[in-house]
Amino acid sequence: MNKNTYYGEFGGQYVAETLMSTLLELEKAFEEAVKDEKFIADYEYYLKDYVGRENPLYFAERLSEKYGVKIYLKREDLNHTGAHKINNVLGQILLARRMGKTKVIAETGAGQHGVATATGAALFGMKCKVYMGAEDIERQKLNVFRMQMLGAEVIPVHSGSATLKDATNEAIRTWAKEAEDTFYVIGSAVGPHPYPKMVKEFQKVISKEAKRQILEKEGRLPDAVVACVGGGSNAIGMFAEFLDEKDVKLVGVEAAGLGIETGKHASAMALGAPGVLHGMKSYLLQDEDGNVKIAHSISAGLDYPGVGPEHAYLKDSGRVEYVSVTDKECMDALMELCQLEGIIPAIESAHAMAHVFKMAKEMTKEQIIIMCLSGRGDKDVHTVADYLDGKDVNK
Amino acid sequence: MNRIEKRMEELKGEGKKAFITYITAGLPDMEGTKRILRAQFEAGIDTVELGIPFSDPVADGPVIQDASYRSIQNGTNLVKCLKMVEELREDCQIPIVFMMYYNTVLHYGIENFAKECNRVGVDGVIVPDLPFEEQEDLRTALKEAGDDTILIQLIAPISKERIPMLLKDARGFVYCVSSMGVTGQAADFHKNVREYLSSVKKVSDVPVMLGFGIRAPEDVQPYIDTIDGAIVGTNLIELLEKTGYDEKKAAEYVRDFKKGL
Repeated sequence: MNKNTYYGEFGGQYVAETLMSTLLELEKAFEEAVKDEKFIADYEYYLKDYVGRENPLYFAERLSEKYGVKIYLKREDLNHTGAHKINNVLGQILLARRMGKTKVIAETGAGQHGVATATGAALFGMKCKVYMGAEDIERQKLNVFRMQMLGAEVIPVHSGSATLKDATNEAIRTWAKEAEDTFYVIGSAVGPHPYPKMVKEFQKVISKEAKRQILEKEGRLPDAVVACVGGGSNAIGMFAEFLDEKDVKLVGVEAAGLGIETGKHASAMALGAPGVLHGMKSYLLQDEDGNVKIAHSISAGLDYPGVGPEHAYLKDSGRVEYVSVTDKECMDALMELCQLEGIIPAIESAHAMAHVFKMAKEMTKEQIIIMCLSGRGDKDVHTVADYLDGKDVNK
Repeated sequence: MNRIEKRMEELKGEGKKAFITYITAGLPDMEGTKRILRAQFEAGIDTVELGIPFSDPVADGPVIQDASYRSIQNGTNLVKCLKMVEELREDCQIPIVFMMYYNTVLHYGIENFAKECNRVGVDGVIVPDLPFEEQEDLRTALKEAGDDTILIQLIAPISKERIPMLLKDARGFVYCVSSMGVTGQAADFHKNVREYLSSVKKVSDVPVMLGFGIRAPEDVQPYIDTIDGAIVGTNLIELLEKTGYDEKKAAEYVRDFKKGL
């Protein structure tokens, strides 16, 4: 076991021999790139002029008033393409270009990462294929069309649960076959090393900005930082610069679907056991034979049976607290954010919001919570409408 | 002596190539799998890979994915597969390799798995999502359980400088994949397959087997001087599907293929 590829007992490189040379080459290229000033300057240029960073740390006045705690929202929803996913995609695509790859592939759940990858591919003139579960294609039609408009090919995946897990399987199969000229842009803090490390590197801009912004506005660090967790990319980016600030409480919010007790949820860390999927060892929802269990959530972006290995490590070490929020709690919070602040959040981000409201009960009005508002909710309006109509939206 | 090593030794003495097949355990059911294994053994199969079904078989193409899915629906699991091998061993000494994904091993418990393999007579294990760098735990457990179950190494067309490391302690045989990607992609071999196989053959102390996308003896003929045998999976599963898992057809397939090698 090569300890560099692990976070405690989690992480590693559980891939076919066919992909080992590819991963070693990628790791080398990534380590060189992040030490290269020109590469970092390019990345920062695109984040500023293309993505529109830095984005605001917005003081949500009416929510704060109502819930009795200062709530700040890190507005990743205002990024070009509407979510935090673009930060990581631009980093990885710049790396792909540097490595001489001409094609990119990606998996997507809610479609936000697919849209971001299609966007980056269009920007740099690369061919792009996006694997997406047939079930998700159905509930995220708007994003499918956006990817196609951007010139990407969206490939429906029908195997298994036809969601993110299966889209990832198919992307890995294609990658194993085409790795010689194709770069696999992984969208979450998951996968074999160096992906979790790379995704954190390209998402940590979220907490870098937020830390500076809160110091400017409040002259002190927040009491708590909250983010939703599917695979965990916005959360790891939101936590990165606060991990060493021991007085800042960090909370990751998983999707409890219809409730943990019903078995229909996506909370790998609530009830999962360590397992291996998608190239990594981490907490994983599995049945009594070690087969992967299908996750359930109203949110396509959190509908994943595993979680990034660094989160598994941060849970075990106790540095981050992981909790979960049901579909209902999340939808109530979503409507609250719409109607009190005029912001339509992604269903994923609304999970974090719901937990912020719960935490507020135990806090005072001088205390500060920063929440990562990871994406905007335009893609979800049909799901919200169906939910309000009482239709079954939890697949 | 391990059954695979014994059989490979015999083939070497006879100057013959090995033929290895893959079938998914539990199709059409456990008894059917036993019948097919016995029939293939009588037909002269040299080793059989028994696929332990897993929910997310990332190294497999659509045919084996589908077979795994149906087998899981039938209730197949590792416990039943071990029991089946135990029963088979009463009267059949066919060399058996479990082909499985690592989560199945982890979930069962690495040490228990190694002990059970050794106890019931599983001769080898292939774990496609467990590359050399991650093998230490399983390798140690197998060794401590009696060293009778071999962890088979896979080699890929782009393994190159990794080859000496992969071969260092290899036993039984090495499994060279013919192409990048997954099982069952037809005989669309990697462009450098000849060069790659010769480089493995040159330094390998154990027999070199070629697998992935092989459908007929003709597919491997151009490379026959660089390999010691061939592995067929998808093609046989398709045949079994078509013939309603007729063990006589499986036996016939083995005889014909061996003749052509």
